[in-house]
Amino acid sequence: MAGLELLSDQGYRLDGRKATELRKVQARMGVFAQADGSAYLEQGNTKALAVVYGPHEVRGARSRSRHDRAMINCQYSMATFSTAERKRRPHGDRKSTEMSLHLKQTFEAAVMTQLYPRSQIDIFVKILQSDGGNYSVCVNAATLAMIDAGIPMRDYVCACTVGFVDETPLADLCYAEEGGGVSSLALALLPRGGQIALLQMDARLHQDHLEALMEAAMTACKGVSKVLDEVVRLHLQEVSVLSAE
Amino acid sequence: MIKTERVLHLKSCRGRKVRVVREHYLRERVPCYSALLTCTIYGKVLPGDLTHYVVPDVGVVVDYLEVLEVRELQGIVFTQTACQALQHAKGRRQYNRLRNLLKDPRHDCVLFTNEFQEYSYCPREKGESQDQWQTRCVYSAAVWYYNHLAGMKDVVMITEDREAVAQYGSLNSGVYVISDFLLNFWPELQAAHELYSSVSLALQEKESEVSEREYAEHLPAEVLEAGIKSGRYIQGTLNISKHRAHSESDLSWGVLVSGAKNRNRAVHGDVVAVELLPRSEWRGKDTALTEGRGEEAGGEDGGRKPMPTGRVVGVLQRNWRDYVVTFPPREGPPPQSRNSQRILAVPWDHRIPKIRISTQQADALQDHRVVVRIDSWESTSLYPNGHSVRVLGRAGELETEVQTVLIENCIHVPPFSDAQLKEMPVNCPERPWAVDPAQVAQRRDLRDSHLVFSIDPPGCEDVDDALSVRSLAGGARLELGVHIADVTHFVAEGSLTDLEARTRATTYYLADRRYDMLPAVLSADLCSLLGGVDRYAMSVMWELDAQTLSVVRVWYGRTLIRSSYQLHYQLAQALLDGEPAEVPELAGLGSEERGGELARLTGALETLTRVARNLRAQRNRGGALELEGVEVRAQLDEERNITALVPRQPLEVHETVAECMIYANHWVARKIQESFPHQALLRRHPPPRQEFFSQLVDTAAARGFSVDTRTNKALADSLDRAEDPRDPLVNRLLRIMATTAMSQALYFSTGLQAQDQFYHYGLALDRYTHFTSPIRRYADILVHRLLAAAIAVDRGSDPGGAVASNKELEETARHINTKNRAAQRAQKSSTELFQCLYFKDRDPQSDQRCVADAVVYSIRDNGVLVFVPEYGVKGPVYMKNREGEVAAVGQDGRCTWQSGAVQRHSDRITTTSGCGSATFRLFDHITVRISVRSTHCHADALVLDLVVNGPHRRAAEPSAPPPRSQGRSSQLVREVVRQAEEASQQAQEKEARRPELSREEREFSQTKTPNLYSLLEEVRELALLDPDGVSRLCASTA
Repeated sequence: MAGLELLSDQGYRLDGRKATELRKVQARMGVFAQADGSAYLEQGNTKALAVVYGPHEVRGARSRSRHDRAMINCQYSMATFSTAERKRRPHGDRKSTEMSLHLKQTFEAAVMTQLYPRSQIDIFVKILQSDGGNYSVCVNAATLAMIDAGIPMRDYVCACTVGFVDETPLADLCYAEEGGGVSSLALALLPRGGQIALLQMDARLHQDHLEALMEAAMTACKGVSKVLDEVVRLHLQEVSVLSAE
Repeated sequence: MIKTERVLHLKSCRGRKVRVVREHYLRERVPCYSALLTCTIYGKVLPGDLTHYVVPDVGVVVDYLEVLEVRELQGIVFTQTACQALQHAKGRRQYNRLRNLLKDPRHDCVLFTNEFQEYSYCPREKGESQDQWQTRCVYSAAVWYYNHLAGMKDVVMITEDREAVAQYGSLNSGVYVISDFLLNFWPELQAAHELYSSVSLALQEKESEVSEREYAEHLPAEVLEAGIKSGRYIQGTLNISKHRAHSESDLSWGVLVSGAKNRNRAVHGDVVAVELLPRSEWRGKDTALTEGRGEEAGGEDGGRKPMPTGRVVGVLQRNWRDYVVTFPPREGPPPQSRNSQRILAVPWDHRIPKIRISTQQADALQDHRVVVRIDSWESTSLYPNGHSVRVLGRAGELETEVQTVLIENCIHVPPFSDAQLKEMPVNCPERPWAVDPAQVAQRRDLRDSHLVFSIDPPGCEDVDDALSVRSLAGGARLELGVHIADVTHFVAEGSLTDLEARTRATTYYLADRRYDMLPAVLSADLCSLLGGVDRYAMSVMWELDAQTLSVVRVWYGRTLIRSSYQLHYQLAQALLDGEPAEVPELAGLGSEERGGELARLTGALETLTRVARNLRAQRNRGGALELEGVEVRAQLDEERNITALVPRQPLEVHETVAECMIYANHWVARKIQESFPHQALLRRHPPPRQEFFSQLVDTAAARGFSVDTRTNKALADSLDRAEDPRDPLVNRLLRIMATTAMSQALYFSTGLQAQDQFYHYGLALDRYTHFTSPIRRYADILVHRLLAAAIAVDRGSDPGGAVASNKELEETARHINTKNRAAQRAQKSSTELFQCLYFKDRDPQSDQRCVADAVVYSIRDNGVLVFVPEYGVKGPVYMKNREGEVAAVGQDGRCTWQSGAVQRHSDRITTTSGCGSATFRLFDHITVRISVRSTHCHADALVLDLVVNGPHRRAAEPSAPPPRSQGRSSQLVREVVRQAEEASQQAQEKEARRPELSREEREFSQTKTPNLYSLLEEVRELALLDPDGVSRLCASTA
């Protein structure tokens, strides 16, 4: 297939969205009782489960502990059934390692680690179904899990991928779009202050277009943050109703 | 929005079936693009005054898109389902065609994205076949449309599927499902009916066909793509040799594809993937001359260098266009049945294979030229299948041949429609056009302050440029002004006229007629800067230092001018030379007054000449510029000989005007490039590739000249040196070869090239564009708009509508480049057509005019290539004919055919026979007889036969005066036109009742009686004002 038409003349994308529209986001917090914090998040057909342990004492090598802040440990994995063809190795391959590293960097920028010196926070994220934007879904799910665990953060961390097609930025790419030769950019944002926690782009893009793309990514991230906020509020309501009884 | 899921089963890269789940979002508000409702936000809408809307189903769109393209069919709603099916079934090319159709505001059709509409989307059910599902989708879309419009409009769904009619026709939901749409609704639309029946015949043909395999199957697209990436296959455009269409073709990458089997159904121009053959099977290119097609080249000889040879394994993209074919005359008795027959029609272009057409009109169409389209080429078939679209007329008639030339070059010039003409301002004696006071306020008024004049060929109608010059600040400064007709004022962006002009891209000049880009009211009247009337202009004005002539200040802007004098070249030159001349504008004045005015005008002309000389010198100093000056003159020489349009010695005033235009173009290019660094339309002339000069260098070496081709300056200098005092033709031939080696100048958008690529090799300018002829070139209109936007930006105001983006501009630039090339090719073929017509009526044996002097400029295995300066004809002369006899030269130089042998050397060819041997060297003069070889299906060609090995006696006289040659050649065209007119008049008299001729005349020739003189003069002016246009022209003609 030499190039799908990612954006039609009428302004529709492959799945019927317009350029700036996000996929449908559904989330639930506190899905596991054992963990300190957990969340399940669907963004379109990408589904992720995030679990947070900690803060707790540093396990394993003592030398890794920092005297002034908490250490964040991330592990990213993909279920073997998450892609169209069964995956052989759920984690530990190059891509997963890289993703783990990115997640770690993102949350080091967002969590107030200085409140917990000499301790460790573990974040485990698993992709149950992959349909594009894995990184951003993981970040969003992990944010909810963090909040569920009650770990103080500067702000929600909201992430979104954007791509650039026909001089138009497309928000929240799906798998078909990511594979369609779009130069895509992933942005993790602390929306209230507009600070960037992580920005990643592997493709080539003309310098002039970067600004427009960033602008679109920020708008998309702010949209995601609104949804996450609603989820958190709803969860709190439920929890408070439960505890009131 | 509602989210649903769609499950697709796709093939993975390893060929396994994979279940893919994709999201699918539905929404309630999808624009219906109907003028009846206000839910449309933008774009074109279906008019509300139609009786019904038409929803074609998938099968109709896939198979009969051509019929739906007929402009009379209105109110067509294409569904998304159908569009996707079309893309899937017919590929990107057809799909793009549909997209263009949807974008074109002249067609009443819209796209309804039914699959994203909540209520019209129907998910595919288990066990439902794809066709059924698609039909159901289209039907529910039609139902939605009907309900959406609340029954205000009838909706008709057309299908070719009887089952669908039976299934849905009975459902009572307000939508009519029918199959014989054309028959029921448009019984009078003859063209559409014919197209319909020819398409459906071709389809039936395809179904019924089962036979053995003739060609290898093409590989699937994924395999090809992977193979190209891994380097196993080579991708390229198939380019079939004009002279050996049956055996040879090569790719743009220098890979030879030899023979029809290896070519594997690829047609000239297709993008193909080629697999290289093993080295042992590599072959070389033939260097022997062959006559046209179907002939075996001379025996294998060892001198050929084998080059990479391959075979086509797949076609990546078909580039089929409309082809002109000739129906063969009937052989044998006419068949009894009235059924359709399959005919093998021969395309006009040698490079295209015969096309099989099934038609019921085979008898009626004998010897007619017909436009056809290729539908498919199965591996079981020796020839491609096609269907006829339109009948042009009987082969050999002038009108048919001219139309053939147009269609073969993809030029489509319908007369301007009423809607387009309605947009035009009116200027007639009853309602004279007047300057708008609002415009006067906005524009700089130069009517009283400046002496504006135009210099053009005599009788010129469309004057797009005028000049002015005056001194400022007490003589310390000079103000030079170039004023160009403000076409963009009249042609608003996006208007119908603009669209038509964009489609045409240029005015087409053929040998006997002209097709204008803009309607006549603009090109010949309101946009033409005529003398003594107020006109809008776009001006560039420089303030120059009066002494050094360096630029102090530049001003760009819209102005209002009144040209005082409409001069022509000879008159202006006469004024400059101080010769007595009659200026018509001053005829009415008293002698004293006249003297004063005349002195003023002459003064201005003199200043202008001084400035132009200086500009030229500046350019020469600024870089390696000497080449283009000489080059231009050489091209003019060349031009004159080919079309006999440009005089040998251009007057200095020609160069003055040209220099001012180049200067204006250059400065405008600078301005728009600085204002819009990423989206300005410029013109570049890339340096030629060195290997193209090899023929030039070798040929020059044969006469002992060395040619240095490293830079344009070096080339120009060495060409200057390569002057043979005995034979001026040597230098001309070398210059022609140099011109052939040049690459073509191109329009481009600045966002797509690095700045060092902007260079114009021919003019030696770092930036160049076209600004000075908006009446006949669309590129200039674009540049005018860019300049206007740049001026607006400078003022700090809004640029008035968004400037086209880089991508759009590049697309337009590519379109204009293609059209320009087509225009040049059409001009060339029409000239050739007239050359042939000229010689057709002469008896080559008796008529003196058919014998001419020729110069050898290239040596081949079995003959030589010669150039006939008198008629500007190039062609092969055979030393060895088909029977294997060679041209033997007798004592008196006369040539006869005898058996013998031919031996080829690098700079000469020798024939040996019973009566001695004869040698033909490069640059030898020989005498040839020109005759016409008529072919039934193709364009006629000129044949050159060797008569005497030595200069023709007429040419031997030293005073072969160029004017005569010019007169002869233009006389050539004129005579043919006259003959054709006489013939058509006779035909009219004979069949006075038949109205077709006049109808055709209305349809095809926009100027009914072409004033040939003015036409030729205009072309000459074109050549003069645009030196690099000429270089392109020559590059293509040479």
